[in-house]
Amino acid sequence: MSTALQQRRTQVAIFIVVLAGIIVLPLFFNPASGFVDDCTLALAYITMALGLNIIVGFAGLLDLGYVAFYAIGAYTMGWLASGFYADADIHIGVTGFAENLPGIHLNFFLVLIAAMVFTTIAGIIIGLPTLRLRGDYIAIVTLAFGEIIGRVAINGDEIKFSEGFPLTNGRQGITPVDKIDLPFVDQFTSLNLRPWYWVALGLVLVVLFVNFRLRDSRLGRAWIALREDEVAAISMGIPAVKTKLFAYGTGAAFGGISGAFLASYLNTVNADQFQFSFSIFVLAMVILGGLGSIWGVVLGSVALTFINYRLIPDVLNDVPNKVGLDFDLTELSFGIFGFLLVVMMVLRPEGLIPERRRQMELEEGIGAGDTELELVEP
Amino acid sequence: MSLGVAACGSDDDSGGSSTSDSASGGTINIYSSLPLQGASRPQTTAMVNGIKLALQQANNKAGDFTIKYTSLDDSTAQAGNWTPEATSQNARKVAQDDKAGVYIGEFNSGASAVSIPILNEAGVPQISPANTAVGLTTDEPGADKGEPDKYYPTGKRTYTRIVPIDTIQGAALATTMKQDGCTKVAMTNDKEVYGAGLSRNVQLAAQQQDVAILFNEGIDPKAPNYRSLASKAKGEGADCFIYAGITANNAVQLYKDFAAAIPGLKMYGGDGVAESGFVDPKEGGLPTSVSKNVKVTVATLSPDDYPPQGQEFFSDFEDTYGDKNPDPYAIYGYEAMNLALDAIQRAGSADKEKILEALFATKDRESVLGTYSIDENGDTTLTDYGLYTVNDGELEFDKTIKAETGG
Amino acid sequence: MEAASLPATRPKPLRVLQDWLSKYGLIVVLLAMPVYYGIQDLSDDGNLTRLGGNIVDGLSNGAIWALVAIGYTLVYGIIELINFAHGEVFMIGSFTAAGFFGTVGLTAGMGVPGLALGLLLTLVVCMVVSGMLNVMIERVAYRPLRNAPVLAPLITAVGFSFILQNVGILWRGGSQEGIPDLINSQHELFTIFGLDITNGDVLSIGTTVPLVILMVTFINQSRLGKAMRATAQDPEAARLMGINVDTTISLTFLIGGMLAGAAGLIYALYQTTIWYAQGFTAGLIAFTAAVMGGIGNIKGAVLGGVIIGIIQQISDNRIGTEWTPAIVFAYLVLIMVFKPSGLLGEETREAG
Repeated sequence: MSTALQQRRTQVAIFIVVLAGIIVLPLFFNPASGFVDDCTLALAYITMALGLNIIVGFAGLLDLGYVAFYAIGAYTMGWLASGFYADADIHIGVTGFAENLPGIHLNFFLVLIAAMVFTTIAGIIIGLPTLRLRGDYIAIVTLAFGEIIGRVAINGDEIKFSEGFPLTNGRQGITPVDKIDLPFVDQFTSLNLRPWYWVALGLVLVVLFVNFRLRDSRLGRAWIALREDEVAAISMGIPAVKTKLFAYGTGAAFGGISGAFLASYLNTVNADQFQFSFSIFVLAMVILGGLGSIWGVVLGSVALTFINYRLIPDVLNDVPNKVGLDFDLTELSFGIFGFLLVVMMVLRPEGLIPERRRQMELEEGIGAGDTELELVEP
Repeated sequence: MSLGVAACGSDDDSGGSSTSDSASGGTINIYSSLPLQGASRPQTTAMVNGIKLALQQANNKAGDFTIKYTSLDDSTAQAGNWTPEATSQNARKVAQDDKAGVYIGEFNSGASAVSIPILNEAGVPQISPANTAVGLTTDEPGADKGEPDKYYPTGKRTYTRIVPIDTIQGAALATTMKQDGCTKVAMTNDKEVYGAGLSRNVQLAAQQQDVAILFNEGIDPKAPNYRSLASKAKGEGADCFIYAGITANNAVQLYKDFAAAIPGLKMYGGDGVAESGFVDPKEGGLPTSVSKNVKVTVATLSPDDYPPQGQEFFSDFEDTYGDKNPDPYAIYGYEAMNLALDAIQRAGSADKEKILEALFATKDRESVLGTYSIDENGDTTLTDYGLYTVNDGELEFDKTIKAETGG
Repeated sequence: MEAASLPATRPKPLRVLQDWLSKYGLIVVLLAMPVYYGIQDLSDDGNLTRLGGNIVDGLSNGAIWALVAIGYTLVYGIIELINFAHGEVFMIGSFTAAGFFGTVGLTAGMGVPGLALGLLLTLVVCMVVSGMLNVMIERVAYRPLRNAPVLAPLITAVGFSFILQNVGILWRGGSQEGIPDLINSQHELFTIFGLDITNGDVLSIGTTVPLVILMVTFINQSRLGKAMRATAQDPEAARLMGINVDTTISLTFLIGGMLAGAAGLIYALYQTTIWYAQGFTAGLIAFTAAVMGGIGNIKGAVLGGVIIGIIQQISDNRIGTEWTPAIVFAYLVLIMVFKPSGLLGEETREAG
């Protein structure tokens, strides 16, 4: 008992030290440096991947259309905090540049709440038709919704609520989007990324906390029970419909939070961002990190963000130049990304940090679901 | 951590060069930011080639300054297209560089909307070789409310472009169709900023000139074919067809399907399709049986009218890349770099503010695109469009169109 | 099984409605668009030529999707994996075809017998290349992960799809490429009931139908086909019965790849434009077709492919090409709502 307590104390101590390190990290870099930028993006993607992890990792519902929630979160920001609806003139809790622009301008945190509400509703709507479905059929229906929402984003400039109020701005994009506005702090700018980093970190901490609490709650156990054996779980009295919809709703809400943050951070909401490949990108973070494992997903998100935004464009593409070859590596970066995915997955099939539960199943074969060990090699 | 220290260190030594104006041996960095991955790659690599050629001709010098050029990528491997993440990262990278002189980019108007505000805050002069969306520089028809001011947080203009805005090309195309006797025009666009904007402007100009547009339909560039769309146009009795968009959005298939559905159909296109990849069957373009009915407008002159440096460009381009008919994008890239070098030379300084001033003071510049100035909005004053026909897989200059903009 | 997740008791009128919907809802959904536009055509033009034209185009396009969808469905049936790289295998088939035309020197003007022989040879080459490629992918990317968590191979599949797309870019560049129109694809061969049937239509349907019949016969009659079905049903039991599971899985990938290669050739001849990303779109559509028809079921995949082909053409013609993908996926969602196991589903382990 006391050793367990001690262990827990050491864990908490380590966590605090690491967290402190992460908080002060951007102070060692130029405030507009690419590194701080990559870190901020990684934090935003962690939020998103943790949301997807609830749907895919905890509840076992393969979602190939997660980009839908990113889109809805981002558009909420575009609708409620930009000059997009220039005929309206609503300003709540904003200062600086945004105060003098026409359009609807709500404070970032109000938009964040709206984004959570919208995406939760969207999550439940998308979840409803999948309730009767199993396995990969869920995947295709979520994929279909992701594609439909991507299409609506592209063609939304033709859908008008009334004159001057189209649904989206298509591929033209809604630019610029208001920056985060906090009381007592200077206006956020695009040349000082440190405040953005800290806000993103704050969001990640909130989401992490919710994730841990959910995983260890009654609901979390219900998700895992459904994932492992749906029929048994239902016969044990777990309300499948409610439990699944909760997973979609919470998972979607995290995607919405991250989407709203990214819209403000990237200063644009453009239909081209919401493609199927983005769903796959986030799913790869979850699976590569370790399905259902919270720390694994965090690591997976960081790894893929840095591969996509730093390793390939900045490090690898400079290599031929440095060794004196006139060879354009950008031509290969698509393939390199794919190759790295294959290699990492073959080397660590169960993910970088596997979920403790799954690891036990794989190593000792206890409680193995009927899908996992079907094709055992002789 | 070492990275941060290095970045801070480099700040110091650049401070000296801007104070002593005539310092020979000062270095100025020029960046380009273009989507080098995915479907736009053929156009953007042509552009980078044009940029490199211009620099090579100038022996990496502008006045007393040595120019160092870096090509940045605003697309990512995962997306295969420009992304706001990569674009803002590029803009910030340049914004931080005290030796940065000029930023050439972006290729997509949507991406420029992202990079302009960042570069504007840092005061970096920007030249776009390809953006035609109206709202980036002016509030003329075609721009949204709040444009263009919302892109310039400092209130001072930092963005220029060397391609004319859509309004002008739209009028040029409508004029051509009217001259050719078109009565019912089927119009398609690729829904990108350039294509959708151009199609709107063609529509406006066509209305003024009494050319009936049957429909203006956005296409899905990933569709395998457009046979049913073409048969719809046939059913409505179209005698002319126009596509506003770029080759990379499945233009070849689109023209083939329309040509097959309606024999003898007259077909038109903007500068987005004015390239060998569209007209030359050897490079995967249209078969000659289809392309003989195609006419294309480009903001470049008849090769005979080129000033000497323009002639030189064509011969050098052939020497360097073995292609005697470079894409218009190569020409735009070439001119973007030349304009940057010219501005730096006229500024005689590595100071961004002075380069910016010189850039906006560009007047009657003789170039490969014709003689133009940069107005106070950052737009080029070029208005003439060249009409090209296609002969045996090659674009051939036909005539210069004076567009009837109708007021 | 499906009912298990629904509450057991429901008010009676609701249950009646539900019964009616599950019986006829699907048919209503499927027929809604053609019937609506058929009536519109009759009142506008007095005939059904426009709708008929859409359906003919839909059939010939759908036949190509069907061939790709079979590959998806076979692989899914046997190892329950969405083979995301399958679309790229199809793309490589098209590229091989285009490359082969060039090397052998096939041209449109060389007369029917020579051309037919050349194309037959190309068909074999494409099928072999795509088939072997698919087998290779299975060996490198899926077999090492046989015992891994179910979703791990999904990511290697995506990884391979990126690699193959990059191969496509290096091979033939990043933009769409028009290739010689060997069969004069859009040339009107004959007219029936006022509908123009083109060379391309005949080629597409005329190649797909025999290939599908051959395939179904092979799987139903041959020893290897039986081994495939047995493995799909229960790999463990199949192994105990002396079936070499690894070989059977390789064979499945080979057949799926070969059909994708054939589809690649037909696509190249029919559309006369190829590009590296064609496989991505085709893969998405074919996957949708496979699920629509009931994943794991060959006839279902063919049916799904044809239905999607027709929906696409009707939507292109009436609603607008920019909405077509959204319409296709909306249809998919509706079909899943009314028949969760797909049109002809319930033959795989997962759905049963």
